[in-house]
Amino acid sequence: MGKKKNKQVLRPWCWYCEREFEDEKVLMQHQKAKHFKCGMCPRRLNTAGGLAVHIQQVHKLEPDNLPRIENALPGRDGYEVEIFGMEGIPAPDVADYKRRKEIELGLAAGSISQPQAKRPKIENRPMSEEELKAQLEAHKALMGLNNPEPSTTSTPETPSGAVVYGAPSQTYAAPPVPMPPPHGVTPPVPFPAGASPPPGMPGQPPHFPPFAPGMPPGPPPPGFPFPPGFPPGAPMPFPPGVRPPFPPFFPPGATPPPGFPPPGFTPPPGVPGASPPPPPNFVPATLQTTSPSTISPPPFGGTAIPGANTPPGPAPSSNPATQSQGQSKPPTLTLPNPALAQTLPEFKKPTELKWSDPNFSPEEHRAIHSKYYFVKTTDPAPVTTSANADEPRGKKRARAEDFL
Amino acid sequence: MADSTTLPSPPFDSVSALHFAPSSPDRLLVSSWDTTVRYYDTSDTAPELKAKFDHRAAVLACAFSDDAHGYSGGLDTSVRELDLSTEKITNLGQHADTISSMSWSNSQNCLITGSWDRTLRFWDPRLAQTSSQTQSHSTPERIYHLDLIDTTLVIAMASRLFHIYDLRNMSSPTQQRESSLKYMTRSLACMPDGQGYATASTEGRIAVEYFDPSPTSQEKKYAFKCHRQTVDDVDRVWPVNALAFHPVYNTFASAGSDGTVSIWDHKVKKRLRQYPKLNTPLSAIAFNKEGTKLAMGVSYTWDDGERGLKTAQQPMIVIRKLGDEVKPKGWPGN
Repeated sequence: MGKKKNKQVLRPWCWYCEREFEDEKVLMQHQKAKHFKCGMCPRRLNTAGGLAVHIQQVHKLEPDNLPRIENALPGRDGYEVEIFGMEGIPAPDVADYKRRKEIELGLAAGSISQPQAKRPKIENRPMSEEELKAQLEAHKALMGLNNPEPSTTSTPETPSGAVVYGAPSQTYAAPPVPMPPPHGVTPPVPFPAGASPPPGMPGQPPHFPPFAPGMPPGPPPPGFPFPPGFPPGAPMPFPPGVRPPFPPFFPPGATPPPGFPPPGFTPPPGVPGASPPPPPNFVPATLQTTSPSTISPPPFGGTAIPGANTPPGPAPSSNPATQSQGQSKPPTLTLPNPALAQTLPEFKKPTELKWSDPNFSPEEHRAIHSKYYFVKTTDPAPVTTSANADEPRGKKRARAEDFL
Repeated sequence: MADSTTLPSPPFDSVSALHFAPSSPDRLLVSSWDTTVRYYDTSDTAPELKAKFDHRAAVLACAFSDDAHGYSGGLDTSVRELDLSTEKITNLGQHADTISSMSWSNSQNCLITGSWDRTLRFWDPRLAQTSSQTQSHSTPERIYHLDLIDTTLVIAMASRLFHIYDLRNMSSPTQQRESSLKYMTRSLACMPDGQGYATASTEGRIAVEYFDPSPTSQEKKYAFKCHRQTVDDVDRVWPVNALAFHPVYNTFASAGSDGTVSIWDHKVKKRLRQYPKLNTPLSAIAFNKEGTKLAMGVSYTWDDGERGLKTAQQPMIVIRKLGDEVKPKGWPGN
């Protein structure tokens, strides 16, 4: 290996991390502690091969599934090279290291390293390492960007996602104070799902922006009366052109306006809210009667979104089964037996639980997502003939009581 | 070693369940959220899709009775018989809510289905025309999983409840238990030797329990952590989505949302093998009847809701040929 000749000049160094040591004994201790330590138990091995065998036999990991050698430079974290102290270092790496040492110590080229032949290789080496570092940086930057993203975005589904991740169980187990949904998130079910929307509703969203583009936000022009009890200015937080969530968000306790006038409809002066259509009355009612066992916004946003962002009617879906479901909205999940409601036990140490709803399984949440939701038959009777299966889908209606 | 193949024409959406045929070692039935049940030949030489059955809604459960007949159930609440050779579908009847699980009982010669409508129902496919339903039993909670061995039926329900029935006398459960795990039950599988069952929760933990109610047997039950990883002192914990017992060696496999499958010897409480981690969760696993193959449904399991669907990878069905890693140490002839 030519090691002997250089011993006067070069101190022992670690191939994995290129650190120098007083003598080989210290180097071996270093390698045992830093590179050949098993990540799954306190055991320290003498060589990379030993570590590989240990992990395979003791921890039952497949040979192709081994963790990389810890604390190693990029490209030197594999098990292929058997290193023991200074033994086993690949010749090109020795030459490369010597050459860099020469430069560092201000020695003439070749004073440590004899093999001149390795030059061309040497010249590549620092470059490739820089590249590797740059790649690592780029990768880190990428990861760093990705991480905060989910928490900062305010897309409708993110709040629900956030709820799932960190929230204590109570969020689901007893959601219940009639709480206005966070701004921008609509209440789960604007009207009893399954029931056909009250008159006036289907046409509403298109009517909602009576603000023609160019009309400034803010106080409405005179002649656009607000119903009593409605905080002036409050209902128009949306810049022109942006369609507000549907149904609109109302402050707690405030009586929602009796419907927004359809275009061209001017309420008779002095008779504000003369003919309130039923739906607005219903909205607070639903919110206030939320039973403790009903989870309010379905955690995965799916059910709230179609109502909010798409015009009434079947949500666009790739699933043929949901195409012809008419006006039916997916229900919320309701515990059949609230007495058995579960809560998540506390964790002893910091834990990131992937699924944190103690009362409903992932499948139950998935089943009410608009992509999968299937309206069940009106007939709850267990006995049905096989002819029933051929019944056209349109005949099947949702059982409203299921969804309340 | 790593001898695994990916089946052609996989479902377009997540795999909800998969089962091998009771006698043919290669035939596989797969139910999916893409509203289909698919029937595959998984032979090494020419794996292929033999038949596809379309449903009106996502299918969550499937089962074989014999090699020629399959059954399915899901969000559309109907129980269907699938003739695998003629591809004819017969409707057997209905539940009031999604059918979450089903299993065929050889001893009773009937299909048993469990549903979120909190009933357990029995079906005899020979009773045609009217309903094929023969029995219905209500349960205190939504049924998530059921499995049976010989005449013992175990159902796992929401709220961490378990009922154990004797199929010969279904008037009341022989045992009512609460899960020994503190989190939602995510999977269930009965031991082929009929001694007990394994169950797993959403919180990366598996419990091994025994049927025999005597204190000596009950003392043997235990639970252990798995399918988790510590990152920066924070435990990341994934649900254990599926369990399956090896039909010969009585070891079992667990599959989690972390993308790993582990083989366990529950008698000596040791892990025999962990297969390489995949980037996608595992939603279902099954051994074939000879125990020479393990089928794995690799697909999104809704752990991140709709958000995760957008980034989810294409579902896959991977068939892994098994070696000695599924044998307990010191198995005769090892």
